[in-house]
Amino acid sequence: MPANSQPSNSSPAMLSISGIRKTFNPGTVNEVRALRGVDLEIEEGSFVIVLGMNGSGKSTLLNAVAGTFFVDEGTIRLAGKDVTRWPEHRRAQLIGRVFQNPFSGTAPNMSIAENFALAARRGQPRGLGWALAPQLMAPLRERIASLKMGLENRLDNAIGSLSGGQRQALTLLMATWLKPKLLLLDEHTAALDPKSADQVIALSDEVIQRDKLTTLMVTHSMQQAVSLGDRIIMMHRGRVLHDFRGAEKRRLRPEDLLDRFDEVRRREQLDESAAAMLNELYV
Amino acid sequence: MTLLIGALTIGLILSLLAMGVFVSFRIFSMPDITTDGSITFGAAIAAVMLVHGVNPPLATAAGALGGAVAGAVTGVLHTKFKINALLAGILVMTALYSVNLHVMGRSNVPLMQVRTLASYGETLGEALFGGRTINVLGWAVGSADAAVLLLALGAAVAGGGLLFWFFRTNIGTAMRATGDNPQMIRALGANVEGYIVLGLALSNGLVALSGALLAQYQGFADAQMGIGMIVWGLASVIIGEALTGTRSLGLTIVGAVMGSVVFRLLVAIALRWGLNPNDLKLITALFVFAALVLPSMVAKLKRTRAAGLEPGA
Repeated sequence: MPANSQPSNSSPAMLSISGIRKTFNPGTVNEVRALRGVDLEIEEGSFVIVLGMNGSGKSTLLNAVAGTFFVDEGTIRLAGKDVTRWPEHRRAQLIGRVFQNPFSGTAPNMSIAENFALAARRGQPRGLGWALAPQLMAPLRERIASLKMGLENRLDNAIGSLSGGQRQALTLLMATWLKPKLLLLDEHTAALDPKSADQVIALSDEVIQRDKLTTLMVTHSMQQAVSLGDRIIMMHRGRVLHDFRGAEKRRLRPEDLLDRFDEVRRREQLDESAAAMLNELYV
Repeated sequence: MTLLIGALTIGLILSLLAMGVFVSFRIFSMPDITTDGSITFGAAIAAVMLVHGVNPPLATAAGALGGAVAGAVTGVLHTKFKINALLAGILVMTALYSVNLHVMGRSNVPLMQVRTLASYGETLGEALFGGRTINVLGWAVGSADAAVLLLALGAAVAGGGLLFWFFRTNIGTAMRATGDNPQMIRALGANVEGYIVLGLALSNGLVALSGALLAQYQGFADAQMGIGMIVWGLASVIIGEALTGTRSLGLTIVGAVMGSVVFRLLVAIALRWGLNPNDLKLITALFVFAALVLPSMVAKLKRTRAAGLEPGA
């Protein structure tokens, strides 16, 4: 790895992960060692792309940071706080999230306005104030109009009546309505048609650049990986395999990333044939 | 006429039960059978306190509070101890049966000789209408009955109004989202388990309030009065949804009140026509069964017909 990949000590890390491990269903036939010791420092304002094949642990890493489950070992520090034992809903005061499934990030039977009213109090005490307060509605209408999706006149419609792309765009706005310390995007365009995916990606990049959000984004798209962000982390078998940043990240082309994946795949096949050979010999 | 007024009054009192069932069944999609125990619990607490000379509004509020505690217990059993929601409700309902007998000291507490909210109604009737009867569209109506009906109407309107207001506040909106998409609202920082406990407390608080009022209206609290009340509440909510639709929260709450009144009127008419009162619970259960099953069966029938009309299908 080149020398410039060392984290600079001048800016303190926004997210600092050290030695986290997670095994699902330990001691059973379904045992999965999803994270096998991940160390990661992410500086404030950094936009990090997380790549990896299925089962490499990239979504598990995001969920560990979000607090969907507690890690077995290691610590997670976010914005200077040790959040390792914080429950998911408490971490929400620091984290904004967009999920892969467009149905996950919004309450389908509630109106667009109500969904934003919920997001406008992310991680804060909610109290008995009127949810659809006038001071929320004016900026909300303006921001939604800027999407140019014609949704600003449909604020009272149930959000479940919208398309997947519209829902992901709104979920992104909701996640960033209060500026989060960390934005987690978990393959948030994977379930969308190509045109909607492009729109949501453009919107994501715009919001991230404008608010200088520290972001972790999981994707399967090499194109997105090279054109977005300032750092790429490649996960494999529950560990960080490659970490590209700075000039190296800027030079990367999709083909380079594919080469790295092929390399991994060849090594895997080798392992598989080795395993088959051992099987034949000893079982 | 007295029959009609009585049916309307009970329907309005039980509309609070319908609102409670609306909260558990429609907001959290959780048929909460604690209802059967908490309606009696509310009645028992209120009745015993009234017998001991506590003033009626305070006794009624205490009854509602007792129901809220019972609902919170069900919520804690479900969320903290991961017991299936239906089973958690059954456990609390069963436990409440003994608790209610202990609270009352026997299986029935009469309220004929004590001052209740219903006797407030009599005083109010005299103050409002003067004489013993008043003339409504040519019918002679007891002024006390009319005043009690007005009080029940006031309780239903106040309960529905407060519920509507609550569900439009930040907490209430988050509570509705908890039922709609728990993953989303957790990611927005809401403690989903806490909201379920709070919601079941609210639901059973309304149910117990209804029970406390019912005991004062009918003049007694009885250990058996809660049997099947969850199904009664479900029937009211379902009729209400048929009447007003579910497009908006306000309409649904108004629907629950209307559903309760309509259902009580239907029952009064059926009893008048000679329906055996012993068959009432059976018929209520059959009604709810039909209301739950028919919509999807009708939809299926329509689909089959539509498919049959297409050439080559």
